[in-house]
Amino acid sequence: MGLLSFKNVGISGMSAAVPRHAINNFDHNQYFSKDDIRDIVEKIGVKERRLADEKTCSSDLCFAAAKQLISGMNINRDEIDILIFISQTPDYRMPATSIILQNRLKLPTSTVCLDINLGCSAFLYGLTLAYSLIISGGVRKILILDGETRSKVYSQKDRKTAFLFGDAGIAALIEKDNKYGNSWFSLNSDGSRESLIKIPAGGYRNMSSCETVKEKVVDEYGNMRSDENGYMNGADVFNFVIREVPKDFYRLIDYAGTDVSTIDYYVFHQANSYINGFLAKKLKLIKEKIPLTIDKFGNTSSVSIPLTIISELHNKLQDHKRLLLSAFGVGLSWGTALIDIDNCYIGEILEV
Amino acid sequence: MMKEKLIGALAEALEMDPMQINEEDYFRDYDNYSSLSELSVLAMLDSEFGVEIEMKEFNDYITVGDLIKLASKRSKE
Repeated sequence: MGLLSFKNVGISGMSAAVPRHAINNFDHNQYFSKDDIRDIVEKIGVKERRLADEKTCSSDLCFAAAKQLISGMNINRDEIDILIFISQTPDYRMPATSIILQNRLKLPTSTVCLDINLGCSAFLYGLTLAYSLIISGGVRKILILDGETRSKVYSQKDRKTAFLFGDAGIAALIEKDNKYGNSWFSLNSDGSRESLIKIPAGGYRNMSSCETVKEKVVDEYGNMRSDENGYMNGADVFNFVIREVPKDFYRLIDYAGTDVSTIDYYVFHQANSYINGFLAKKLKLIKEKIPLTIDKFGNTSSVSIPLTIISELHNKLQDHKRLLLSAFGVGLSWGTALIDIDNCYIGEILEV
Repeated sequence: MMKEKLIGALAEALEMDPMQINEEDYFRDYDNYSSLSELSVLAMLDSEFGVEIEMKEFNDYITVGDLIKLASKRSKE
């Protein structure tokens, strides 16, 4: 079924951290001609991106965001009962990064910690899980930390992905409060499309070896990557998204029994501006209601939805607002959510 | 009718002159056809002709004429 609804639970505060190092996407890459780069960058709409240095992990960006959230909202650490870390770029294959963050953030050892390993759709899954756990009773506050250093995943010599991804981390606090009212989620998965976005090696199906780190020419265009780099079949993903995301959008609106006129903002996963522009047009949405950050942060995978809320709606969420969230990506995994925000604390975006 | 409409839309998607496009052409062989402009072709088929197909099926369409047939079939459905 994949449809869920909740009552009186919501996001009470959010903050974000991005790497200090901003790059101009038009002149960062030395492997392609200026003309090729301009064509690609104009189509995907990523003018700037933030790149984490070698030493900075997703968890470090989340740690900075979390510290700011805790001090900015004056949160009692002992009331954080659960920490959920969302990422596909964790510190290690084991242990779970959420547990390392429990210690770094000086949360009590009674904190429930777990990692969610999903990509672009993951913030919606994190919210659904957090909302469910709050509703189960007994849980006071849940800290969601969502971070990605996707720029480290993709080859700089593969034009399909070299210009797309940026790095960022966010922290969000989930609490119970009657002011939030109802929220609705639709979540979906299609494992038959697992190969469309993939890092083939480095797991246990195809373990790391001298072979897996070798860079190879992979197509007739001369793109190069290793099996430890990410791969994306852009046309197949695009074709899937423009077909399925609108369907899920309407499915959720129907399930919620509401009208699109009640929605204040539509926050889409920032995939690339071509796909986002197409979705907005196909769904006949008003431009002014669609905040965008693809131009300055690129595609930050699971972080892009909360980062866009923090960056673009920070001064617009003081009173009661309804947001539609739409996320889609690797898995393939996709979902839509309708949530209400009410006087949400939003921290300044930190540069780390 | 459908022929002119499809050729016009394809020309726009690929930033070509419609005069350069013939029904028997292999559209993937055009200089302007790339992994980037392929997105514009898919978007054009979806928004202007209501064509929602799997890539597996799309990859079976080879000529401009195939696309005209595809667009005509969908608009009758």
